[in-house]
Amino acid sequence: MSWLSEAGAVFAKDWRAELRSRHALHTLLLFAVTTLITVSVALGPLGVSSTERLAVLPALLWVILLFAAAAGLPRAFVHEEETHTATALRLAATPSAVFAGKVLYSASLLFAVEALLVPLYVAVMQLPVASAGDLLVALVAGGLGLALASTLLAAIAAQAQGRAALFPILAFPILLPLLLLSIELTRGAVGGPVGDGVVTNLVLYDATMAVAGLMLFPLAWNP
Amino acid sequence: MALKPLSIAWRWALWVWIALAIVGAFYYAPLAQDFIGQSSRILFFHVPMAWASFVAFLAAGVWSVLYLWKRQPDHDRAAAAAVELGLVFAVLATLTGAMWAKVMWHAWWNWDPRQMSIVIALAFYGAYLVLRGGVEDPEARARLCAVYAVIGLVVAPYLYFVMPRQAEFSLHPQPVVNATAKVEMNSRMLQVLLVSSFGFTVFFFWVHGLRRRLLRLADRRSVAP
Repeated sequence: MSWLSEAGAVFAKDWRAELRSRHALHTLLLFAVTTLITVSVALGPLGVSSTERLAVLPALLWVILLFAAAAGLPRAFVHEEETHTATALRLAATPSAVFAGKVLYSASLLFAVEALLVPLYVAVMQLPVASAGDLLVALVAGGLGLALASTLLAAIAAQAQGRAALFPILAFPILLPLLLLSIELTRGAVGGPVGDGVVTNLVLYDATMAVAGLMLFPLAWNP
Repeated sequence: MALKPLSIAWRWALWVWIALAIVGAFYYAPLAQDFIGQSSRILFFHVPMAWASFVAFLAAGVWSVLYLWKRQPDHDRAAAAAVELGLVFAVLATLTGAMWAKVMWHAWWNWDPRQMSIVIALAFYGAYLVLRGGVEDPEARARLCAVYAVIGLVVAPYLYFVMPRQAEFSLHPQPVVNATAKVEMNSRMLQVLLVSSFGFTVFFFWVHGLRRRLLRLADRRSVAP
């Protein structure tokens, strides 16, 4: 079995298991929507005043996505450890192929949630999208970065006690540069100020995390 | 274990060296221009603390790589000891920085890019210690913590180089580490700063050796029947 088909098999296995229970998808979506409702109600019927809108709304969007990801993504490994299928997976597939498959699964899960959440967010919060292309780049590159870092860290957290609480603690310092870059690009997409080279840095972050993941995941995964 | 005369001598030498740095900071070095009152003297302690924490975190990363390569428990203990001490130095650097900021900027905290970087470093290495506490099997703990520390080495360039550049401006003085790569500092101040930084670095490695030995003894006791 080639490396690519192994990664594809892990991806397909995860989605098949997910579609049987839809646990992660429901967790992510309900978490995102509940937070969106909370934020929207708290800001009142008129939302944020137009002067503060650009500063506040992109940050809130990414906070919602971060918390949804932290609630749903670690499950990819916690579930394997809890049902003791991790050992079988260790025997069956190359570690880096497991990483690639899990990243693809997490990223596609996040993209599905983004596809449902972001239009809702734009509509409810009256976010004026000036450049749909920039917004798409921010969501794709930001989501991919979230999936890459979460997969690597979830593999670590799943092998420790207090998995659910440990994951956000481990992930926050590593995700912060990614979130700040994503927020800035999103701010640019709705007509706010944006620094030079944000897209480059975002892509570089994803590339660094991909390389680091492929190299370090096998060490974290194999006992 | 009796100490050899040489190892006693360099400890006393370190004591004299750091005493020299303290005296130099208050009596030998002039005050920096445009600083309120005597506030610039904190430089001779604040910068070496930040430097020592940087050395400690870098050393922790190197020992983690060594552990993943050779799988020697001693490398894992060395990395853990370095993170613990690095956190102490980083907290001290943060506090002295905040004290100075209160005098110069009239605010303890204002999210200057440097303050941002150090807070993330504190959160990261704090998480490292939480992870250490969360894994019982010594081998798994060493492996997972080493991987986490290496991830830190990967993200660090973003924290130190990308994010501060991304920021609009920084109020933090940059006479030593700056974009022009030239030292813009009075030569007497620079002498004291270098003496102090060297002293703090040696001090770190000394305490690190002690802590590493303590961890080794604790491990030996837990293994012995």
